[in-house]
Amino acid sequence: MILLLAVASGLLAGWLRATIRGRRLAAPNLFLLWLLVAAFVLQAIAFQLPTRKLLPDQIASIFLCVSQGMMLIFAMSNRRLPGFWMLIVGLAMNLGAIALNGGFMPISPETIQKLVPNAPPGSWEIGQRFGTGKDIVLPVGKTILWILSDRFLLPEWMPYHVAFSLGDVVISIGAFLTLWSAAGPETPKDK
Amino acid sequence: MKNALAQTVLLACKVQPHHIRLMLMLLAITMFVIGVGAPESGGSIGE
Repeated sequence: MILLLAVASGLLAGWLRATIRGRRLAAPNLFLLWLLVAAFVLQAIAFQLPTRKLLPDQIASIFLCVSQGMMLIFAMSNRRLPGFWMLIVGLAMNLGAIALNGGFMPISPETIQKLVPNAPPGSWEIGQRFGTGKDIVLPVGKTILWILSDRFLLPEWMPYHVAFSLGDVVISIGAFLTLWSAAGPETPKDK
Repeated sequence: MKNALAQTVLLACKVQPHHIRLMLMLLAITMFVIGVGAPESGGSIGE
């Protein structure tokens, strides 16, 4: 949700910037777009579609790491575009935490207790994957690169509760900058 | 029905290549942030 908010606000900010400057929103050609789509399909199979309940945890973690590697290649091939370096750094931060902690993003028991205080007993276990999501429950002392894990929570007064990482913050900034920079040439009426 | 079809065709004719590229970029960025980002909402527990 927070990442989609960054996309929406980046698009709005880019549109406003283009309008004020008398330009139109334009987009550069993206390289290896098919690789991004393929990676997205892998993640949909592992974490979004009903197939997520059929895949063993080990296969899901492989799907996650492989798909993020594919997205890294996509991002690197488009690194000349504004904002993409932030996307690359954010992705690397998340991928680093995931790869070093059993192929899933680590989340601490304390964070889970704040995130879902009414979770049924036995619905999650330390050392196990958290439901069918991308996270694994690990104590802080057993998490490698804990600083990059899902350790931040949105304020309680917000209706949407989510745990996110430092990498997610960097990705949000990168997405915002990429869309903010989508200003094309001046419109003919201004010449 | 004919009127709606005609209006749809007229609207489709107004779509220019840079509109399509912009939509593709927006779709790409959205797919990227959903795929790369890892925020957890706790909605998958109990599955």
